Amino acid sequence: MEFGPGFWGPIIATIVMLLGAGFACLMLLGSRRIAKVRPSIVKRSTYGCGEEVKPEEVTADSEQFYSPIRRVFKPFYRYIQPGHSGKLNTYLLWVVIGFVVLLVAIALVLR
Amino acid sequence: MIEAAPILVIIIPLMGSFLTPLISILTKRYKKDRIRDLFVVSIVIVTLLLVLHMLPTVWSGNIIVYRLGNWTPPWGICLAIDGLNIMVALIVSGIAVLVSIYSLMYMKNDTGLEKYYTLLLLILASMMGVTLTGDFFNMFVFFEIMSTAAYALVAFRRNWDSIEASIKYMVMGSLGASLFLLGISFIYSLVGSLNIADIAQKISIIGTNPLPPILILILALLMTGLSIKIAMVPFHAWMPDAYQAAPSAVVVLLAAGTTTVGVYMMLRVVYILFGVAALGAMLIVLGSVTMVVGALMALVQRDLKRLLAYSGISQVGYILLGVGFGTALGIEGGLFHLLNNAIYKALLFMCAGAIFYRVGTCNLDELGGLSKNMPITAGLFTIGALAISGVPPFNGFASKWTIYIAGIQAGKAFFSLLAIIMSVLTLAYLLKAVNAIFLGQRPKRFENVKEAPLTMLFPMMLLAVLCIVLGVLPSLGINIVSPAYNALTNQHGYIQAVLGGI
Repeated sequence: MEFGPGFWGPIIATIVMLLGAGFACLMLLGSRRIAKVRPSIVKRSTYGCGEEVKPEEVTADSEQFYSPIRRVFKPFYRYIQPGHSGKLNTYLLWVVIGFVVLLVAIALVLR
Repeated sequence: MIEAAPILVIIIPLMGSFLTPLISILTKRYKKDRIRDLFVVSIVIVTLLLVLHMLPTVWSGNIIVYRLGNWTPPWGICLAIDGLNIMVALIVSGIAVLVSIYSLMYMKNDTGLEKYYTLLLLILASMMGVTLTGDFFNMFVFFEIMSTAAYALVAFRRNWDSIEASIKYMVMGSLGASLFLLGISFIYSLVGSLNIADIAQKISIIGTNPLPPILILILALLMTGLSIKIAMVPFHAWMPDAYQAAPSAVVVLLAAGTTTVGVYMMLRVVYILFGVAALGAMLIVLGSVTMVVGALMALVQRDLKRLLAYSGISQVGYILLGVGFGTALGIEGGLFHLLNNAIYKALLFMCAGAIFYRVGTCNLDELGGLSKNMPITAGLFTIGALAISGVPPFNGFASKWTIYIAGIQAGKAFFSLLAIIMSVLTLAYLLKAVNAIFLGQRPKRFENVKEAPLTMLFPMMLLAVLCIVLGVLPSLGINIVSPAYNALTNQHGYIQAVLGGI
């Protein structure tokens, strides 16, 4: 195994990444507005269905956070996720299925 | 080298676990509970020191064989320590030291701590027993002690969730242990021996190409039993329930300790006992399925510990994938990932524990903006998250990169591509966790939340440093892993060392 040049140079890569991060910080600092923005309170408030929502009440639903990915893997979330129900008999069924799969797989590979 | 070091590694924590309740009675009487805690920490440190003491001998290419009662193998029980199990012993004892220090503060407010520390030492002794023994039935006995201690530790807080999770874990674990025992009894009826080296020699005489039907059944029984322990898909369902309900200190020990021991047992059975590298294709498929199911399930979790549990399942998939490639690079990558997984998984669960310790919940929807109150924990969690996602320059990148390259070199680029995609998903769900816990608006009730105590931060910092060091200097990790790889692929050397040319 090799981690030297031509494969992966971790020390050089780390230095480059640190320099890149430093450069990004400098750019960020350099692009800051000098004049302070003073939006009205109405503009800074958060609204939901026309009602004002307090900042601490605004949270993204963790389960729906990556809903586009959920849509891509729709069959998985429709058929596999319900199997993780917390029901012990379902878990035991998985074990039985897994054992049969392993037995067949080993037989196919090693016979 | 201390001649009795191999057995002392098991006996010292075992005796410590028996002494802990007695010491607790005394320390309670004199109101000096801290003495009991320090006694436990010192026992665990001594165990680690003994493992470190054996390292130079094993890493110089020797296999330490310790004969209990001076019985010559295959008679009696022996401990056989090669590069593979010394690495596992190092991981387990190192993690145990950090967990015992972490527990000093994390478990401070719990009652019945004498039981907790007794179980902690018992699980350490049993993990050491499983790892170091050269006897198959002895391995099962320690495996059962380890599992029983784990069930009790999961239910330690005695609330409804933890008891339910513990019962599920116990039913699943007992089923796995029964299958494992059935496999051992079939082996004994077939070859008339329980010594691992002796069984390996006799199986090699029977021949594995093609493998007789009874050996196929035995291998399936053993692998199913062990797959439940390492939570390989589809045997994984118990793990998120157990990890969510157990105290975080216990989860660290389970995620980084018992899982590592389970993977070790799987490797020992497949490579040393049966010497069947041909199973690689099967491990690749199972590893890939485990990787994908774990990552996709982690993506939709609301609870941090549950998310990390699914993430752990996914990482086991990477290990199996690397080992399954069967090349030197692949196996080294898999073993390196085993080491790294223990480090960042321990770090992430400790961070989860620190959050729970301060705010009393791990529900992502109830958290937010904690980076202002817990900046060190936030930084450490981010390091762990980046490491497990395989972002350079952290340790996860080094081992995952090795696995990707191994896949491409082995002509299985599709699986490398799949592993890369799953790494992206890993980063996605952990960034979601970072965002939900540390960024955004902070709920008003968390305004006065303080940073985690120093005794909890110290082990976390140490693990974070390891994440960086093993990423920036991966050759250090490779140096630890290489003797394990040599041991794993040297079935003949193991048999020779234990049986001494019998």
